[in-house]
Amino acid sequence: MKHTLIHLNTSPYSSLACKEGLDLALVLATFEQPVDLCLSGAALALLSDAQQPTAEHGKNLHKLLAGLEFYDIENVYIEKNHSWLNSTTSWQGVTPLDSTEWQTMFSQYQQVFRF
Amino acid sequence: MQYTLLITGSPYHSKACHTALRFIRAALNKSPDSIKGVFFYEDAVLIGNQVAQPPRDEINLTRAWQEIAEQNNIPLYLCIAAAVRRGIINEGESRRYELEQHTLAEHFQLEGLGTLVDLMNTTNKIIQFR
Repeated sequence: MKHTLIHLNTSPYSSLACKEGLDLALVLATFEQPVDLCLSGAALALLSDAQQPTAEHGKNLHKLLAGLEFYDIENVYIEKNHSWLNSTTSWQGVTPLDSTEWQTMFSQYQQVFRF
Repeated sequence: MQYTLLITGSPYHSKACHTALRFIRAALNKSPDSIKGVFFYEDAVLIGNQVAQPPRDEINLTRAWQEIAEQNNIPLYLCIAAAVRRGIINEGESRRYELEQHTLAEHFQLEGLGTLVDLMNTTNKIIQFR
């Protein structure tokens, strides 16, 4: 069984990439495949609590985060020191990594898919 | 070494489908059974649109994929959810949605992401083109 990392790097509302990356993570977990998530770049906006997307924006993907634990997706990594990410207004389930940990993380998985 | 290819890049906004095709040709040249299957996801599913008509002086990418699949017996899977939302519909889905037409090109088939999971677990290496 391969351990998979899904790396989200695109804005949750500028395209379907973020949603379809999350869909793949949920399917992998449904099939009992070990899967972790990591977020960088514009995908970090997914963590912000204050989201009220309209139908034109797309589904509220932030709401999916609370359900990840029910799929046994326990590790959601971000890189430390994103000053605009206020700890009181963003999702608390992430594990921040320093730069060295972040860089070594990618080589710890058998496969990494980017969205 | 047997590969599965996961292609996520749009055939119109990226060279993912083009580069993957070149990779397959090189891999087959080295070992005829080196490709287990190809799974198209995100905008890459647009490759399976049978009604798209590229200009005659440009590569017909859908046809190129059909030819390599047919000649080498390589299954070409499109994620069914990603395809249907983008209008790539086979006969079964056409009936289900009570449509009068279907748009899935020959040699492509609609499959769920579970098929990708199965490919992951039965292939040495999976390579993403995006």
